[in-house]
Amino acid sequence: MHSDTDASGDLVLDSRGRLALYLSVGLGAGAVIALQIDIMRVFAVGNWTHFGSLVVSLAMLGFGLTSAVMAIATEWFSRNWRLMAGLGLGLMGPLAVGANLFIQQLGFNPIYLVSDPHQKWKLAEIFLASLTPFLGGALFLGCVFLKSNKTFGRVYFADLAGSGLSGLVFLGAMYVFPPVDLIVAPLILWFVACLAFSFLPGAKLARAPFVVAALVAFGAHFVVAPTLGLSRLAVNDYKGASYARRLPEAKKVFESHSPFGFLEAYTTSYLHFAPGLSDNAGFNLPEMPANAYMGLYIDSDGPIGIMRHLSAKETAYFHYLPMWYPYVVKPAPAKTFITQFGGGISTEVALAAGAKDVTVAEGNRAILAAFHGDVIKGFTDDILSKVHVVDYEGRHFLQQTSEKFDVIDLSLADSTGLSNPGGFAVVEKFPYTQEAMETYMRALAPGGVLAVTIWNKEEPPKSVLKLYATMAAASRDLDGDKMADSFFVSSSYLSTATVLYKRGGFSEDEIAKLRKHTHDMSFDEIYSPGLFYDGSQTDRTLDGYVAQFFSAPVNGPPGSDKVSGDATAPAAASDPTAPDDNAPPGAKADEGVLPSTVMGRLAWHSFVDGGWDKIADRYVFNTRKLTNDFPYFAAYVKTKDLPQVLSDPDRLEPLQDEWGYLLIWATLGIACVTAAILLLIPLLWGWRTFFARTPGKALSVVYFACLGAGYIMVEVGLIAHFVMALGNPTVSASVLITGMLVFSGLGALTSEKILGVKRVAMPIIFVVIAAMLTGYALYLNVALDAIGSLPYFTRLLLCFLFIAPPAYLMGFPMPTAMTTLGRLGKQHLFIWAWGVNGCFSVIGAAAAPVIATNYGLGAVIEIAALAYFIALPSFFGVLAERKTA
Amino acid sequence: LRRRDFLAGAAGLAGGALLPRLAMANVPTPFTFDLTPPMDSKEKFIAWGVKERGEDPVYLGERFDRFLAMVRNEDIWDERHKRAFLLTPREKFVLQQNLSRAYEHAFLDIGYGVTISGPHIVGRMTSTIDPKKGEKVLEIGTGSGYQSAYLSHLTDDVHTIEIIKPLAERTRGIYDALAKDGYAEFGAITSKNADGYYGWEEAGPFDKIIVTCGIDHVPPPLLQQLKPNGVMVIPVGPPGAQRVLKVVKNQAADGTITVARSDIYGGRIVPFVPFTKLEGDTIKGTHNN
Repeated sequence: MHSDTDASGDLVLDSRGRLALYLSVGLGAGAVIALQIDIMRVFAVGNWTHFGSLVVSLAMLGFGLTSAVMAIATEWFSRNWRLMAGLGLGLMGPLAVGANLFIQQLGFNPIYLVSDPHQKWKLAEIFLASLTPFLGGALFLGCVFLKSNKTFGRVYFADLAGSGLSGLVFLGAMYVFPPVDLIVAPLILWFVACLAFSFLPGAKLARAPFVVAALVAFGAHFVVAPTLGLSRLAVNDYKGASYARRLPEAKKVFESHSPFGFLEAYTTSYLHFAPGLSDNAGFNLPEMPANAYMGLYIDSDGPIGIMRHLSAKETAYFHYLPMWYPYVVKPAPAKTFITQFGGGISTEVALAAGAKDVTVAEGNRAILAAFHGDVIKGFTDDILSKVHVVDYEGRHFLQQTSEKFDVIDLSLADSTGLSNPGGFAVVEKFPYTQEAMETYMRALAPGGVLAVTIWNKEEPPKSVLKLYATMAAASRDLDGDKMADSFFVSSSYLSTATVLYKRGGFSEDEIAKLRKHTHDMSFDEIYSPGLFYDGSQTDRTLDGYVAQFFSAPVNGPPGSDKVSGDATAPAAASDPTAPDDNAPPGAKADEGVLPSTVMGRLAWHSFVDGGWDKIADRYVFNTRKLTNDFPYFAAYVKTKDLPQVLSDPDRLEPLQDEWGYLLIWATLGIACVTAAILLLIPLLWGWRTFFARTPGKALSVVYFACLGAGYIMVEVGLIAHFVMALGNPTVSASVLITGMLVFSGLGALTSEKILGVKRVAMPIIFVVIAAMLTGYALYLNVALDAIGSLPYFTRLLLCFLFIAPPAYLMGFPMPTAMTTLGRLGKQHLFIWAWGVNGCFSVIGAAAAPVIATNYGLGAVIEIAALAYFIALPSFFGVLAERKTA
Repeated sequence: LRRRDFLAGAAGLAGGALLPRLAMANVPTPFTFDLTPPMDSKEKFIAWGVKERGEDPVYLGERFDRFLAMVRNEDIWDERHKRAFLLTPREKFVLQQNLSRAYEHAFLDIGYGVTISGPHIVGRMTSTIDPKKGEKVLEIGTGSGYQSAYLSHLTDDVHTIEIIKPLAERTRGIYDALAKDGYAEFGAITSKNADGYYGWEEAGPFDKIIVTCGIDHVPPPLLQQLKPNGVMVIPVGPPGAQRVLKVVKNQAADGTITVARSDIYGGRIVPFVPFTKLEGDTIKGTHNN
């Protein structure tokens, strides 16, 4: 044993040594967190963000794996801790760079994940490569923890505070470095951690190898990779920006990077934007404007169309866009509000319609900055100078303003969605929730019109039904008796759908105008006051859609028996366009009305006349309305259908736009299985030896499992919640990581003071945490909604304040229990408990989005509260004293 | 890396190492609109394909298996379309690394962020526009070249436009190499590298238009270049989550033009094709079993 350890093996350090230790732990843990965020950012820009989360979640199992091995060989690691900690830490940097370079050369293509077996292997290689730096980090932290049994609270404080502050460091780094070089942030943290470690007694010799490791890491990223032509951030061929780069004459004219995204703008005459343009434009317009567009890409996704300033003649085609609808009944409105500026198309349409006073809101500050920059400002003839600009979410502005508007627009602000590297992300869409819709509706002037247009490219319809259900619910809450007269809905098949709402109801004259416009545009009328719905199509449509996915005929499609074995025989239905009695199960074209149109009409009919709940039950997909608690255009596959869908590749392929949702289930499954295996290893290995003399082990496992899952679920759940106030998931994640971990670190530091009264203090703390979290689950949304219109810095500060109380208290349970284990001499359980905590963190992180999409964001926090409540009685298992042999 | 991904169809460019294969690729019997392969047995088809078209028996076998599945799923509807599918060597249009999967149902990567659509969807789209000999067809998005090659067995007037220059050149190279090899019908395909949004005004109007790339609206120039009562099909949505829109340009007796939208299933709800259950030449069930 080295001379700087006490009789129980704990490190004994002077003040300089302690500072070195805490700095190395804090910065090392910070590097781990920064590397996680970096991997997710690189995946978001280069590939598909969900796979970044998947890879990072699973890579964090590296902590579980390390703990399992260390629990088995605790004594060996205790003897060789300095070497192993130094090795783990020293390798982390080069491994992070090496793993990234390896992953970027693989050419992983998620869209072929089901059809191409190679892609699954590539995903496995990505996971294994990503695991390696985390193994290094875990080995370092595990060894240090092992030598800090009795003073765990302080080391844990350094761990949490360092991790937390790295969230802020990374936030700042996103302003400085483009995504390709963001790895510099974790590398710098790592290298300083290495240097700090080398100041520990007996670790001076490691300084030179650390410097060599740093040269290797930085050199590989900045010199070797560019020299050898190795990609450091390979953007998937199927990302929108990749298409733009391949277009002739494509020229990147703008680029910026910040926490609000990596923005690029390209110009080429080959870009054409007219989202949802009526087909009739082709016969009524002499020509479309040429060289009129710039494509804006955020994190390589897009394009979001930006238009150059068009002459009056060139804007003729605006009449044929679905965004024109509100101006059919409200020509030249006095006051217009655009809730999401996006690329500016709705704003251009409003100005072309003669809107006199236009206010636009845009929550993404990077977009506004881009439009204030010379290039886009010149291209658009400084469109922002022609309107009032609100630099935060439109819903928050409308919530606090006394202004009323004649037209409020929320139209196709997002990307055109032409490309897709593997599915649509499950992201919070707070501007489309029932609460947001009610805010928009309330902000209408008498006779004002709210117009919402979204993409309608799904068959069977999915997102449009959610939008319909949400808007109908909002109206029902606001002025239910007038709901039947307040809506006009139209859609264009496989194009767009527009819902118009007029508070107080449309007049007959207005309905006539809207119907004529719909006819002139060849759009389909889905709902208007008094529209007749033919109920005879209901069963056929609903049953047909279910049959489409879940009960294809046993012997193949109709007529197959007639051609079976004789390929030359004429097919039974030689012309599928001609409805016939042998038609496949489900609805047929009925008087030219398509099933999706029937479904839209059925939905509105049942909103108005009642019975929607039963219809929604029978519909093939989930059509639950969006609320602040369920802000998702996702999770369409009903939970009961998941086993069928996930077990059959045939069903997976046509649901590729649901892969984001299905992947979170798959992540949870993989995390559970892997964590179970990792936890069982030390248990089986050591059951008859070191665990036999460790009382309270079952309760201890429950305790650390609850802490692991509970803590991360609060963190992940609150990240999603805070997007509402902060408007951006990256900023929200950084704020949450920093706030949670730093305040918890302070809790950990304070926890030493209650060690003497832990039997009394800890139950109280658990009850307060559970109560506080339950309160947050119920009321946090209201608070976050309320602060949304405050200046951004104030919002950030308030978010930190919201986080502080529970985070501080949540810092107590882990170090209190770990220190107790250490002082009771339960070394094997000590290191294993750390692993249990880590494994359940992974499970909790994977479970949080599953719970959020199925039971709501509040449920995530409520379940976390329950976990802390269960931890209360389990704590007494931790306190059980060790039997003597 | 993509540049190294040469196509099997461009075997003529690949050098002496592939000579035995080149010998197999010579086409003894040139294409005519009367050329009809046997359709009643896999063995007869393979024997015919080897003898008359000089093609690889392995791919011929796979093609016939997929043919049976497509007929069964009503993706090809009549003799002309059946013949067109059987005469089109899909393996010549996929990347080397995907050769073994050329006749699988799935779409495959061909580089440049572009896919070659699965055979079922190609068959269904082609059947929907149903080009007849002499009809002028425009394809927007040449891509791998397979779609136009398929079309060339239905009509002798195929035009195709590709926006990505290196891809347009690569595919033209494949057509020309195959034409030299005896597939004269591919040499007759007219192609150019341009922005398909504007169609091909000098060559129009067209009886049928088939768009094989995504866009956020139907380009007005294409509707203008479509003949009255012409049909256009367009995939909507990103790869992997696409639906195919069918647009019919109707002209009433008074000359009024309207456009009708539906999908390629004629507005019917149809079960998804049980793709992966094809084993050899036998279809082993559907989603239910």
